[in-house]
Formats: sequence, structure tokens, C-alpha cells
Amino acid sequence: MSEEKIITPEQEAQTDTAVKVHVAEGKKASSGAAQPASDQGMTRRRFLFSTGVVGAGALLIGQGVLAFALPNNVVAYPTSKGALLVDTKKCANCTSCMIACSSVHYGKASYELSRIQIMFNPFAPYPQGARQAQCHQCKDPKCVAACPTGANHVDTANGNVRTVDARKCIGCQKCIEACPFETARVQWDPTTKTSQKCDLCVTSKYWSEKGGPDGKHACEEVCPMRAIKYTTELPKVDGLEGYEVNLRSVDVDPKWAAYGLPTGDGGEWSADQLKAMQAAAGGATVSEG
Amino acid sequence: MSHPGRTLFLFLILVIAGIVGAVIAANTGHLLFNILWPLLILAPFFGLLVAGRTKRHETFIDGDRVLRHDGAARLEHWTHGVGTFALIVTGGLLGVWFMKSALAGGQPTWLAMNLHYVAAWFFLFGTFYYLADTIITSGKLKEHLPTKNVVKYSIQHYGHMMGFKKYSMPPEDKFYESEKLAFIIAVLSAALLVITGILKVLAHVIHAMPAGLMHVITITHDLSAILITLFLLAHLFFGVIIPSAWPGLHSMLSGYMSVDEAREGYPGWFAKITADDAEAEDSASEQADR
Repeated sequence: MSEEKIITPEQEAQTDTAVKVHVAEGKKASSGAAQPASDQGMTRRRFLFSTGVVGAGALLIGQGVLAFALPNNVVAYPTSKGALLVDTKKCANCTSCMIACSSVHYGKASYELSRIQIMFNPFAPYPQGARQAQCHQCKDPKCVAACPTGANHVDTANGNVRTVDARKCIGCQKCIEACPFETARVQWDPTTKTSQKCDLCVTSKYWSEKGGPDGKHACEEVCPMRAIKYTTELPKVDGLEGYEVNLRSVDVDPKWAAYGLPTGDGGEWSADQLKAMQAAAGGATVSEG
Repeated sequence: MSHPGRTLFLFLILVIAGIVGAVIAANTGHLLFNILWPLLILAPFFGLLVAGRTKRHETFIDGDRVLRHDGAARLEHWTHGVGTFALIVTGGLLGVWFMKSALAGGQPTWLAMNLHYVAAWFFLFGTFYYLADTIITSGKLKEHLPTKNVVKYSIQHYGHMMGFKKYSMPPEDKFYESEKLAFIIAVLSAALLVITGILKVLAHVIHAMPAGLMHVITITHDLSAILITLFLLAHLFFGVIIPSAWPGLHSMLSGYMSVDEAREGYPGWFAKITADDAEAEDSASEQADR
């Protein structure tokens, strides 16, 4: 490989274009004659140029080939083995589930780090006063599809639970944006600048119990109202409002009815409860709610 | 338009196009790292390609001024420098290491990421252009490497600049020993940023990248960013703010430094240029005699 030398503008003006680039003789490029580049064989600059052209060309051609060669697959995600149900009519806004969630995942009692969110409106009448936002483990997880790096993924080793591996998350928040529910079921963890979501306690490293689809779930365990329940039969999600589930019926929670609390689907007294109340009142009329 | 003028025009057009592209992509919910990642991998090759077509100009005295930085040196410096600065700003806004993100979710975050992409493109191009061109041009790399005087001279130099050390400048070369020391830090941090950055880009393509590896890469990327930020702050202070550095700043913009400034500020370098000029003149007269 020949030695490459730098040239002065005066020398450059005296040589033709090819020679300007590839002056190759002596201690310094002196004025006057220099040999044409074609006589030099592969110079270092020519080698660099070739490397750049070949590299760039290979990359572009490779992309073109891949674009045509790869099939346009429709991605189908395996269904999650289960999900958490929350009965909004049963929740007492105690936020125990939020504290339990952040405690088992992060070892901190923090509302901010909880993967289940309880929103409380003290001015709204029952049952609109409380709203719960927990992940539905959707059959068609938009959050997983939106993730550019595969951080938000289907964990096939743990019952296909939809989860975020924070180590791969780049913090773009595309998954939060993609979640169809209001409020998004994927949350932003400001301390790590990554997304997080309910993983059914698969990564509950601060909990001695085994989590995951086949294990226990901190929010469910701690809920004093028994308003949260794990299910392997996902209810039909109705639009962006999610689903309505009744965990107050006698067959699900006999104690709830025994205390005389409303067991109707809409949070009202059931027909049986009203009859029982009428009987207890000696036949007087008892209104609903 | 002169050649440097055309280069500057092209540079500005690319910067504006990059910013406009970043804004449009953010507004339409796209991440450039995701949809245009091949263009980013292309940047180093583009740097090599341009280095292969570059014509370097030797330092020469033109009347009362000296050519200190030719067009290639300035292009390398400013693409790398502007890219680094924009990377630090956008990366800082997105949050570094233990620092939280200063941005709201959605479009502000996507815009910062897209601008980070544009900055990364310039950074990669400038870095590889500089590396390839420096290695290939005889004597250029040596200009930047520290000598055995590096520690002693650097302490004296910075002490002198800060005004708490009395010291008369030794006949330093084109770059001070202190600058050569900073060069090593810049190269180290830039190398770490390039390696970790490219791996982070590849994570958009290869979703099966090991999570543990990505975790280490993210931390290394953040720490390298902090290192290069410290370097840039020192570089700005000693290269822009302190008045004694202004001739050097001027030459990095115009290419030229006055003969007086070269003689006083860089006596070792000036002695070399004048010796080379005398040698060239002798050689020319010998040829003419024949």
C-alpha cells in the first residue's frame, strides 16, 4: 500500500483531479509532477472509499432483498392463561392492592409504582366513586405489538402473561400510548424511565410467595373486600369500558350477601335481597339501593 | 460558491432536513430509530466513503495568516461536535442514569428520540469520517497523540489558563499536550457511545437481544454520555470561553490563524511550518537550477 501524503492548495492547482487525491511520493508532496492515481494500485483512500461504498451498498441491497423476501405475517399472540378481575361495586378505595403491588415488585410502598391503579372520586355517587385500572391481559395486546424493542412481550414461559422486561425498555412509551383503555394499563415508572405493567406477580421478587398465573397475586391476597379475583376464563371485554363483573353474588362471596350488602350486577339490591328485607320489615315496602 | 461554502450549505440542509423529518415522524407517532435504522447504520460507511474522497491541505503560510484547519478538519470537527451536543441535550431530556426524564409521554418523548436519532447520524458520520481520515493521512494521528510530557505540561497549561500558576509556555506542537490528553478521553467515551449506541439500535431489529446485555449496554451508554458531557464542558470552557483560546476557535471556524498567534501560541508547530516552507523553497530552487 502506498504512502498517502497531504498537498497544498498550490500543488492541488497544478495537478489534475485524479492526481490531487493520490499524491504518493517523497517526504512531502512537493510542487510539480505527481504520478497518476491509476499507477498507484490500491491506495489507502481508495480502499476507504471502496469500503464505504461496499458497506453502504450491502446494507441497502440487503434491506431491499429482505423487504421482498420476508412474508407479511399476521402476528398472533398466544392467549394469556389468566387475568385479574375487579368488581368495581365491591371496591372500597382502600388502595391496599396498590401498596401490595409496589411492595412485592419493588420493595416500596408507592402508589406511583403500583401496576394496578385505583381512582377515587369522592363527589361521585356509588358505584361511580371508584374506578380500577388493572391489566386485562388482552387477547390482542396492542401494547406488545407497539413495543419497538420486544421489551413488552408475551412471556411464554409464564402462562403467556403480557409483561415488560425493563432491561430492554427504551422508555419510548409507545406501549402506554397503544393501550386502548382509559386509563392505560401500562404505567410509566419514572425512577427507571421504563414502562411497567401487571405480570400477575411473576416478578414479585420482594414476596416470599410464588406468583404468576399458577401462583398467588398480591393484590388479590390483600384485598379486604375480596373485590379482586384471578380467573382463567377471561370475560368478554366490551369496548373501552372493559368488562363488568360481579364478585358479590352468593355463590362467589357468601359473606357479602350475609352482611346484607347489595349483590345485584349494577350494585343494587337483588330481588332475593329485597324480598328478604320486606319479610324482615313485616311486609313493608323496601325500595332498591 | 466555494468548496467550503458548498459543504456548509449541504451540512445546514441536512441538519434542517433531519429536524423537519424528526418533527414529522414524532407527530405521526413514528420513531426514526425504528423505521429508519438502516440509515443510521449507513452513517459510518458514509463517513468512510467521504474520507476516501477527501483531499487534505497541508498547513501553509498565506501572507499574515496560517492555515491551521483545512475544510476536512472543520467538517469532521463540527459534524462530530454538533452531533455530540445535540445527543447530550436530547439524551439528557430523555433521562440519563438516575436522572428522571424531563419530558411528558407521547409526542415530546418521541420528538426527543427522533432528534436523538438525527444527532446520532451526524455523530456517527463525523466520528467515522474523522477516524478514517486521521488514520489514513500521514502524520495526522500522531498530531493528536500525547507525548511523555503530557502530565507535566497539562498541569502547567491548565494552571496557567486558570491564572494560578506562573509558567511560560514550552514550544508545544500544533495541539497542546493538555488537548492531546483530552483527545484520549474523547476517543474513549466516543468509542463506548458508538458501540453501545449501535447495539441499542440493533435491539430495534433483533428483539431477541439478551435482556442482561441490554441492561449493561444502557448503563454503559449513560455513563459514557456523562463522561463525554464532562469532556465537552471542559472543551467549551478551555476552547471557547477563555480569551486565550479564541484564536483557536477562530481557526476552527475560518480555517486560519494569524502568523503572530501561531508564533506565540504554538511555537513548536510554527517552527515546523517555517522549516517545511524553507525546505520546499530549497527544493523548488534546486529543481529550477537543474
